[in-house]
Amino acid sequence: MRSGSRSQTIVTRLQPYLLIGPTLFLVLLFNVLPAARTVSDSLHKPARGLNAAGKPAEFVGLGNFQDIFDAGHYMGGRFLRSLRNTLVFAIATVGVGLPLGLLLALLLQHKQPLLGLWRFAVFYPSLLPLIGAASIWSFIFSDSIGLANAVLRSFGHPGLNWLGDRNLVLMSVIIVNIWKQSGYFMIFFLAGLQNIPRDIYEAASLDGAGALEQFAALTLPLLRRTLLFVVVISFTFAFQTVEQLQALGEGGPADSANLLLYLIFQNISERRNWGYVNAMTIVLIALVLVFTVSNFFLFEREESD
Amino acid sequence: MTLKRIAMILLAALFLLALGGVAAQDEIVIDFYFPSATANDAEGIFQRYADMFEEENPGISINPVFTGSYTDTRNTILTELQGGGAGPDVAVMLSIDLYSFAEEGYIIPAQGFIDAMDDGAAWAADFFPALMANGVDEAGNVWSIPFQRSTPILYYNADLLAEAGYDAAPVNNAELVEIAQALTTDERHGLLVPVAGGFPIWMYQSFAIAHGRNIVGDDPTEVYFNTPEAVAAVEFARSLGTDLGVGPAGGAAWGDTPVAFLAGQAAMIYHTTGNLTRILRDADFEVGVGFLPSGPAGEDGTGYGAPTGGGNLYLFDDGSKSQAELDASWNWAMFLASPEIQADWGATTGYIASSASAWETEPLASLAQEHAQYGVARDQLQFAGKEFSSYATITIQGIINGTLESILTGEAEDAQAAMDAAQAQIDGILAEYR
Repeated sequence: MRSGSRSQTIVTRLQPYLLIGPTLFLVLLFNVLPAARTVSDSLHKPARGLNAAGKPAEFVGLGNFQDIFDAGHYMGGRFLRSLRNTLVFAIATVGVGLPLGLLLALLLQHKQPLLGLWRFAVFYPSLLPLIGAASIWSFIFSDSIGLANAVLRSFGHPGLNWLGDRNLVLMSVIIVNIWKQSGYFMIFFLAGLQNIPRDIYEAASLDGAGALEQFAALTLPLLRRTLLFVVVISFTFAFQTVEQLQALGEGGPADSANLLLYLIFQNISERRNWGYVNAMTIVLIALVLVFTVSNFFLFEREESD
Repeated sequence: MTLKRIAMILLAALFLLALGGVAAQDEIVIDFYFPSATANDAEGIFQRYADMFEEENPGISINPVFTGSYTDTRNTILTELQGGGAGPDVAVMLSIDLYSFAEEGYIIPAQGFIDAMDDGAAWAADFFPALMANGVDEAGNVWSIPFQRSTPILYYNADLLAEAGYDAAPVNNAELVEIAQALTTDERHGLLVPVAGGFPIWMYQSFAIAHGRNIVGDDPTEVYFNTPEAVAAVEFARSLGTDLGVGPAGGAAWGDTPVAFLAGQAAMIYHTTGNLTRILRDADFEVGVGFLPSGPAGEDGTGYGAPTGGGNLYLFDDGSKSQAELDASWNWAMFLASPEIQADWGATTGYIASSASAWETEPLASLAQEHAQYGVARDQLQFAGKEFSSYATITIQGIINGTLESILTGEAEDAQAAMDAAQAQIDGILAEYR
């Protein structure tokens, strides 16, 4: 009897580990192991020169990180520029795309003629494959034959070099991203809005609150959870941007629209740069973590206040 | 009875399957990766060649795989091989990818196969020397065979030039600028040079060679990016979009350029011969084709010139392949490089057929006679220079492209200073190979 209950306790104790075992194994294999490899590779310089393939990498400590933060280094100059672009890109796409998504949700939440059509029109860009959408935009932005310049020229403007002008190209990529994502964000906000009971608005109206007051005092606070979710995913999306750049000028000219993940992709094929690529990956992950965690704390603290 | 019959049928089927398995084992399959950089139907064409080859070579089967752009193809193959995958047996990659793959030990030289031929030297000599330059290492070993080769040429709208009173293509930069300015209107660029969009180095090399000095030497450790000629060349290219005002500031994008030309929005363009067939087919005006104009007239060492470009055939082996497999790879490469296929390929696409005898083979021979435009690129080859290639090609090309773009877009005003800084970075990398 006693031994039976003991073996039962062991089984009971082991049970949770057995249950999470398969998941744990997969997480170790596909997440933890590659991450550990990335950290290790970021501290090494691959062998260089002729017949480097068989030679071991050299441990350089933080040397790769020093190089990528050195503006005079061939990789550092590109990295620092792409890092700055990535921050601008993330803040601009979230700063404009998210309020736009919210505005669209507010406009399209009530019954009105052609509601389905409006919602579809706003949402459909997010259904398109990214690379296809970006290719469409690369035609729109084309210097001599593009739609954007045709419109500008019809107003007497000489037209803009959307993807060739170094001061403009990052903005062009941001525009595409906002167009692509705000409809997607709208869906989340629409869902969030549906969860807010209608009667509290009626009560507020009776108390004499106007539309703006209702929005500030009721809608926004009650949407906080949705807002947190959308902020987190939109920042993560922004840091993961790759596909658009492939169609929209490949980050050029001279990296003026290049973003971190695309720069990493561009440099992965040559062995000599693997140390840098891994170091840049770690910086990117750190960035995403900082944004996500700080957003979380920001909203959580408000919640507990 | 029925059970027995079913068992018999099953047994027979198994036997047949086993036979098939043995047959499949005897058949050598060549995985052939190819990119495309133009709007031709490369997939259809290669399938046709594969069918022809398989008919002539029983026991060898070709598996053509379209792998996107040249960059995609290179990255796909590198990723597969670096990850321990099989990769292709034969692939078309940029002729300048040689050292990227030779350094890693993924490819084998064609020289061994050429030496084993009865008339190997004559066979190799049939290819245009300018097209062989990028496939030969500093010791003179042939690694890769020219296949879909190109070179930039000048396309011009002959109707527009005639309207403005010019009956011939410009032959030097002074004439080029004069005609371009005469033909520039509010709706039309006089001259589009596709130096925007990530890959200015190729077109830039045209200007560098025309100004008297290529930016690359014979040895893969030689790069000359801050010479007076190199600086003058980029300053001229920049001035087209600024002071001279014949094109957009910063240059045109690669894909837009032929489209604008066909739409009548550009009077002249620099572009690859790889688009010749499409442009001749789609243009509703008289298309003229000429050599890229020479640089500053009358100075020593200046003249016509263009880099070569495009892809070569590479043979892959990490040491694990059997002689029969390697021979099959070589036979497929030789087939694609043969005068018959090169003549067909050149006529179908506009790429320069890579050997002299291909130009005497149908259908190219009569096509070149009918349309003089096809011969222009071939004749320009005698002035052509090597395309940029060195050790650490990808990284160094990235440095050069970035520097050129920052100069062309006006971000770096002092071209000499920017190119000195780039040369210092390049020398730092190449020091590891010297």
